[in-house]
Amino acid sequence: MLKILIPSMFMLLTTWTSPFKQLWSTILMYSFLVATLSLTWLAMPTDTGWFYINNYMAYDPLSSPLLVLTCWLLPLMIIASQNHLAVEPENRQRTYISLLISLQIFLILAFSATEMIMFYVMFEATLIPTLIIITRWGNQMERLNAGTYFLFYTLAGSLPLLVALLIYHSSMGSLSYLSLTSLPLTCSNLYANKLWWMACLLAFLVKMPLYGVHLWLPKAHVEAPIAGSMVLAAVLLKLGGYGMMRIMIILDPLTKELSYPFIILALWGVIMTGSICLRQTDLKSLIAYSSVSHMGLVAAGILIQTPWGFTGALILMIAHGLTSSALFCLANTNYERTHSRTIILARGLQMVLPLMATWWFLASLANLALPPLPNLMGEIMIITSLFNWSFYTLILTGLGTLITASYSLYMFLLTQRGPIPHHLILLEPSHTREHLLLALHLLPLLLLIAKPELVWGWTA
Amino acid sequence: LLFAMGLGTTITFASSHWLLAWMGLEINTLAILPLMCQSHHPRAVEATIKYFLTQATAAAMLLFASITNAWITGQWNLEFMSYSLPTTLVTVALALKIGLAPLHAWMPEVLQGLDLTTGLILSTWQKLAPFCLLLQINPSNTSLLLILGLASTLIGGWGGLNQNQLRKILAYSSIAHLGWMILVLQFFPSLTLLTLLMYFVMTFSLFISFKVNNSTTINSLSMSWSKTPIISSMVPFILLSLGGLPPLSGFMPKWLILQELTKQSLAPLATLAALSALLSLYFYLRISYAMTLTMSPNTLLNALPWRLPSNQHTLPLAITT
Repeated sequence: MLKILIPSMFMLLTTWTSPFKQLWSTILMYSFLVATLSLTWLAMPTDTGWFYINNYMAYDPLSSPLLVLTCWLLPLMIIASQNHLAVEPENRQRTYISLLISLQIFLILAFSATEMIMFYVMFEATLIPTLIIITRWGNQMERLNAGTYFLFYTLAGSLPLLVALLIYHSSMGSLSYLSLTSLPLTCSNLYANKLWWMACLLAFLVKMPLYGVHLWLPKAHVEAPIAGSMVLAAVLLKLGGYGMMRIMIILDPLTKELSYPFIILALWGVIMTGSICLRQTDLKSLIAYSSVSHMGLVAAGILIQTPWGFTGALILMIAHGLTSSALFCLANTNYERTHSRTIILARGLQMVLPLMATWWFLASLANLALPPLPNLMGEIMIITSLFNWSFYTLILTGLGTLITASYSLYMFLLTQRGPIPHHLILLEPSHTREHLLLALHLLPLLLLIAKPELVWGWTA
Repeated sequence: LLFAMGLGTTITFASSHWLLAWMGLEINTLAILPLMCQSHHPRAVEATIKYFLTQATAAAMLLFASITNAWITGQWNLEFMSYSLPTTLVTVALALKIGLAPLHAWMPEVLQGLDLTTGLILSTWQKLAPFCLLLQINPSNTSLLLILGLASTLIGGWGGLNQNQLRKILAYSSIAHLGWMILVLQFFPSLTLLTLLMYFVMTFSLFISFKVNNSTTINSLSMSWSKTPIISSMVPFILLSLGGLPPLSGFMPKWLILQELTKQSLAPLATLAALSALLSLYFYLRISYAMTLTMSPNTLLNALPWRLPSNQHTLPLAITT
């Protein structure tokens, strides 16, 4: 494990000391090496499930897929940012890469934390590089507003979490994951206990995001540069899901009644944000709302607290991470050519960029959860566990699946098929770099069809 | 003059007799007054007068409280204040001296009238003497301290929101941080000292950075990226550290204070204090936007002479478990 973390830290050193001409290729090679090494985490030989590095860092079948996703994403982010950073002066390029790498380090520490407080500190720590990436390198004037919304929504949710963790610590003595299973807080129906339950969950619900508190997400995703959008969609949202799964253990007896409104809110959000997607004119905004929709399903799956629910949530998180990131990369290829995010300005691309249309096709199919892709696996497991909880959720989830399929197809058809608009006279042909980027996103997704046990989590 | 100020604070540190402590505080005040009105323009003189009045009131209240204590208990020792009236009076007097809400009204105006260096001395050095007294008297009036603390964090947060003069923003940030320090005073006094020291380091680096850029409003800060690019890239970290974001060092005092408060079953208070820190975070964020995260149009790259002050950066990312 340390052989992943320490090279990541030294990658920071490498960004500042490599000669400028070889900066990008060096960093890319280095990060690919780290990513390949991280694949060893997926092999789980131990029987307790926990695999220890030292007293403070460990990983298990729940965190290892997320860790591998994080490490895999760094080279992809670097490939994606190469183009738009090429015009910047040298130091700023190095700073940007350093921000991405430091984000990676914090994420690795967050996912491998054994204490809830370490997880909390790292959870907050990921906010700072992301904020700097969004506000400094975003492209539109609204990025300042987006950064503020992002920071304050997340912090307003997570400060009560800090207090709640400290309360738990002072009454139970330890916040280590190992002992969490044996120390649930005694259930009494005091109002204060309900507030404590709420405080524990709010941070993760805001991060996921849940439908009612999701306003930061479209802003942040749209205004961020490509690497920022990629990492936000793929990994940072999953921090919320991961945190929720970890903390569910101690919240147990209360969750049976208290989670009711949140499950309903999450499912309602699936439908609402799906419908919003159907009316979007901004491509990145469409993908951002589709993220909210998928994560709403994940939130519902986690709040149900059944093995199938957790497994489905984890699979959907990984699959959605890869798919959403791929969609943002595709949107970025459009943006780099037309410098606009409006969908209708860049239509009919299949005529002009046919190879890219393949990737659009695959990514859209993945987004609408086509079998045998893992997206479907995750969604079906969550829908089944929700159905087991209550028959009526089938209406909401079925409708949600229908709307997801329709907006994914809408996005595909609008960008690819149909006549090319007359104003598109000069579009650069697709770069090999872009093809590589998308292949690297979608290849793991396709490979996961063959061995989904890697991302099942503990329960299966 | 500087010697006199140092002398004043040291006398207060070393004193165990109330009269001596009061004398130290008075020497401190008198020594800083000429420093404050050095520039002779009306705003500085006005600030000096306001400062003198408030500090004199506080010192008089202090003297009165110590005499009452001497009357009741028959001794002048600092540590043995056992009656509630003198203790409360002393707490309120010292709160006026350092600028806790609701006795904070003088702070923004006074700081605005001074130049940056004198303002620095005012917000850091001048707080040492009253704090040493506060730590020694073992205040036992729980609700008073908690109200002072919470009000300070809230007022420090809300007051700074509408400002664009840097010195006023620093004044409100000072009020907010003092609020945090007072919150934990009766439970874990070492944490008060820790917070005080961390606050000193962060404010010191912030004042010095503003001094190097010679800027006193947020708008003039936006040119700093061309004058001192390295400092401009460090300042957001200092500001976010003041705001208390992990993993920067400014998070540590907040975390420990929240931990202490929850252990004392004051969890709702802890939540309120934590959320009020978000208010001040907003204006720190706004400053860092103006300074680093956006680039204002600038035609020339000014190669100004580099002054190398001792810039203590609080960058060691305190990753603690």
